[in-house]
Amino acid sequence: MLVFVVRRLGTMVLTMVVVSILLFLVLEINVEGVAVKVLGPYSSEEQRNLWLDRNGYFDPLHERYVRWLGNALVGDFGDSVRFRVPVSQVLWPRLGNTGILALATMMVVIPLSLGLGVLAGMREGSKLDRSISITSIVTTSVPEFASAVLISAVFVFWLGILPGTSSMTDGFSIVQLILPVMVLVLYDFGYVTRMTRASMAEVMTTHYIRTAVLKGLPYKTVIVRHALRNALIAPFTVIMLQINWLLSGVIVVEFFFAYKGFGALLLEASLNQDIFLIEACAMVAVFVAVGTQMLADVGYTYLNPRIRFA
Amino acid sequence: MTKELKDESGKRVHSYIPELCEQLRQKKIGRRDFLYTATMLGVSAGAAYAMAGKIMGQGAVVPKAAAQGKGGNLRCGMRLQEMTDPATFDWVPKSNVARQITEYLVRTGADNITRPYLAESWEASDDLKTWTFKLRKGVKWSNGDDFGADDVVYNFERWTDPATGSSNIGLFAAMVDTIDTGKKDDNGKAIMEKRMTSGAVEKIDDHTVRLNLNSAVLSIPENLYNYPTAIVHRRFSEEGGDLSKNPVGTGPYRLAKFAVGEEAVLVKRDPREYWGEEVSLDQIRYIDFGDDASAPVAALASNQVDMVYELQVSQIDVIKRIPGMVLHQAVTAQTAVARMQVDQEPFTDRKVRQAVQACIDHDSLLELAYRGFGAPAEDHHVSPIHPEYFKLPEQKQDIAKAKALLAEAGHPNGIQLKIDLNANVAWEIAAAQAMREMWLKAGIDVQLNVLPGAQFWGIWDKTPFGLTSWTHRPLGVMVMNLAYRSGVPWNESHYDSAEFDAALDDASGTLDVNERRKKMEKVQSILRGDAVISQTLWRSVFNAAHERVKNYQTHPTFYHQLDKVRIA
Repeated sequence: MLVFVVRRLGTMVLTMVVVSILLFLVLEINVEGVAVKVLGPYSSEEQRNLWLDRNGYFDPLHERYVRWLGNALVGDFGDSVRFRVPVSQVLWPRLGNTGILALATMMVVIPLSLGLGVLAGMREGSKLDRSISITSIVTTSVPEFASAVLISAVFVFWLGILPGTSSMTDGFSIVQLILPVMVLVLYDFGYVTRMTRASMAEVMTTHYIRTAVLKGLPYKTVIVRHALRNALIAPFTVIMLQINWLLSGVIVVEFFFAYKGFGALLLEASLNQDIFLIEACAMVAVFVAVGTQMLADVGYTYLNPRIRFA
Repeated sequence: MTKELKDESGKRVHSYIPELCEQLRQKKIGRRDFLYTATMLGVSAGAAYAMAGKIMGQGAVVPKAAAQGKGGNLRCGMRLQEMTDPATFDWVPKSNVARQITEYLVRTGADNITRPYLAESWEASDDLKTWTFKLRKGVKWSNGDDFGADDVVYNFERWTDPATGSSNIGLFAAMVDTIDTGKKDDNGKAIMEKRMTSGAVEKIDDHTVRLNLNSAVLSIPENLYNYPTAIVHRRFSEEGGDLSKNPVGTGPYRLAKFAVGEEAVLVKRDPREYWGEEVSLDQIRYIDFGDDASAPVAALASNQVDMVYELQVSQIDVIKRIPGMVLHQAVTAQTAVARMQVDQEPFTDRKVRQAVQACIDHDSLLELAYRGFGAPAEDHHVSPIHPEYFKLPEQKQDIAKAKALLAEAGHPNGIQLKIDLNANVAWEIAAAQAMREMWLKAGIDVQLNVLPGAQFWGIWDKTPFGLTSWTHRPLGVMVMNLAYRSGVPWNESHYDSAEFDAALDDASGTLDVNERRKKMEKVQSILRGDAVISQTLWRSVFNAAHERVKNYQTHPTFYHQLDKVRIA
C-alpha cells in the first residue's frame, strides 16, 4: 500500500511539474507580453524595458523558470494587477470560500444522491426507480445559469425569504449559502444519483446477492452488508470528480450570487488579464484536479482490494 | 469710478450682480440661470435664492433637508476599484469612497448650484481672471494637522504638473503654459511640455488663496467639484501617494476597511474633530457585487443593501415591483460618444467622420437604446440642460450623404471599422448595436468589440474608435475644456483645432449667459462640423434605495453626498 501511495505521489508531482512548465511557457515566454499585461497595453517601450529589467526578465528562460517555480512553491506568485496586493492575499481566502461552498454542496449531494441511487437501483424498473431517474435527468439537464435565475426569481423576488447575493460581507452566513448550494445540488445530484443507481442495479444482479437472498438473510442485511460496499466503488470516483468540479468549475454560480470564491476570482483574473493571478489560479486548479484524482485512486484500492496491486 | 457693491452683510459682491438681477427681472434669463451665475460669482446659495425670490415675488425658499435623526448604517452596492490618487481618478465610484474621507473646496448640489465647502467664500475679479478663495478656518486633517492655504496650493501644483497625470490639467488650462522643450520627436516636430504658469496660484495668507489665470474662466468653482479635485493633504505624495493605504482627509468619515473588489467601510470620525455639522450615518459601507448588473438588484430585493449605485434602464420595472423601494431619477447631461481619433486612419479624413455622423437617426436611437428616457443628442456634446446650450439646426439622418462622403474619401464600396465598447454598460451596447445597423445602411460595417469593464478603461483614450461614457457636468464649457481642447489629457479624439480653442476661450470667458450662449453657437458648430464624435443620446439616470433611506437625492453625476442621509 505504501509503495502504491508513494508511486501515486510521484506521478502527481511529475504532472504538476509538467503543467507548471507548460503554464510558464504559454504565459511568460513572450516577456514583452508580460510587461504589457502588467503595465497596460499602451505603456511606453521604455517603461516596459525598465520593468522587465528590474524583475529579471532578461535572464535565461530556465533560470527564470526555476526562480518562478521556487517562488510559487513558497506561495509567492507576485502582485495582482487588479487587486493591488500580493496574489496569495486574495487567492487563499477565495479558495477557502469555495471550499466552504463545495463542502456544503457535498454534504447535501452525497447522502441525497447515494440514498436516491440505492433506492432506485435496488428495484430496477419500479415506479420509485422511474420517478427518481426522470427527476435526475430533468434537473441535471437544466444548466446552472438558468436554474439560478429561476430559483432566485422564486425565493428572492417572489417569496422574499432568502438573500439574493452571497457576498458574506457581514461575515460568514449560512443563510447566504442556501441559494448557491441549492443551484449546485440541483445540477449535480442527478448525475451522481444515476451513477449510483447504475452501479447498484448491476450489483443486485450478481450471483453473490442472489445467494445471500436465497440463504435467507434479511433484505436489509443483504443491501447494507453485501450490495452497498461493492456498489459504492463507481460513485466514489464520480464524487471525487465532483470535488474537482466544485473547486474550479462553479464560476457561473459564484458570479451570479456575487460569492467571493475561487471561480469568480478566476473569471475576474482572466477578464482583467491579471497574469500572475491567472498563473496562481491555474496552478491551484491543477493541483486540486491531480490531488482529488490521487485521493480517488487511494480510496478505490481501499474499497476494492482487487485493484490494489494492479 | 463705480462705487464698490456690497451685499446686506457688507461683503463685496461682483460688479455683474446688479445686471444679473435686472436680467432676471426682465425675464431675459431664467431663475436657474440666475442662481447658477450668482453663486458662481461668490454670492452664497442662501442669498442667491433670496434675491431670486425677492425679484420674482416669492418668499425666500431655500431648499432644506428635513429634520435629522441620528445614527444608522448605510449599505450600498457599488463596484470597488483601486483608490490610489484622487487626482488621477477616472471613475466616479472611486471618488464616492474617497468623497467621504476627503473634501472639495466647493460643492455642487443635486440642484446644480455650487456652494461653499472647504472654501468659505470666493470672489472673482470683473475680468474673471483673478479668483480669490477664502478658506474655512478651524478645519483639521484626520492626522491632526491644520488645513490651510499650503494644502490648496500643493493640490493645484500637483494637478497642473503633467507628471501627475491628472485630468485636472485640462480643467485648469488657464493656469498652464505650453513650453517648447527645444527637443524634437522622430518626425521632427517640436516636443512641447505643459507647465504651470509661474504665479498662477498664490498664497495670500494662511487661509486665502488666489488664482491668477491666463484667460478668463467662469467655471472655476464648478471645476473645483469635478470628481478628481478632492483636496489631499500637503504631504500626500511624500507619505506614499496612496489614499487607500494612508487615508488622511478633512472629511467626516475615516476609512476602516478597503478591499478592491470586495468592500469599503467608512466609519464616522469623532464629530468634535470634524469642522462641519455632525453627519447622521454612523457607518457607510460599499459592497462590490462583481460585474453582474443583476446581483446588486437581487441584494436590494433581499435587504442585503439599502441602496444601489446605479440602475440600468432595463431594471426599472423590476424595482417598481419590489415593495418598499424608491426609484430615484435625475435628468442629466450624461452621455456616451462614439469618438474617432482624428490622427488615426481612416479617421484622418474628415469626410469619413462626417459619414459616420450622418448615418445616425438620434430620435430612434434614444428609443431603441434607452426606452426614450432622456433627450436626443446632437453630436456636439453640449446638453439642452446646460445653461449656455445653443440650439443648432437639427442634423437629420442622411444615408445618401454618408455614401457620397465615403465615396469622396476613397471608399466607394463602403468601409470596415472596429469600435471598442465597455461590456459593463448594457445601454451602451444596445446603442452601439442600433448604430451599427444605421451605419450598415451606408456601407459602414462596424465590428463591435466588447471588452470587460476594467480592460476597456485601460484603453478608452488609446483606441482609434471607441464608445466612451461621459458623465454629467454642470456647465457645457467644462466638458469642452476637458475633452476637446487641444492637448489636454482627456482629449481622447486627439482633436486639435486652434479655431475651436479660440472660440472656446471666448465662450469660457463670458459671464453673461445669453452672450455665452451666442458664443457657444460657434463652439458647437465647429465641433459638430469637424465630426469628431457621433453622439448616442442624453440619458436620465436612475438608482434605487429602500424607503428607510431618508434625505437621499440622486446627484446627476452619482456623487454620493451623504451627510444628511439617515436610516429611519
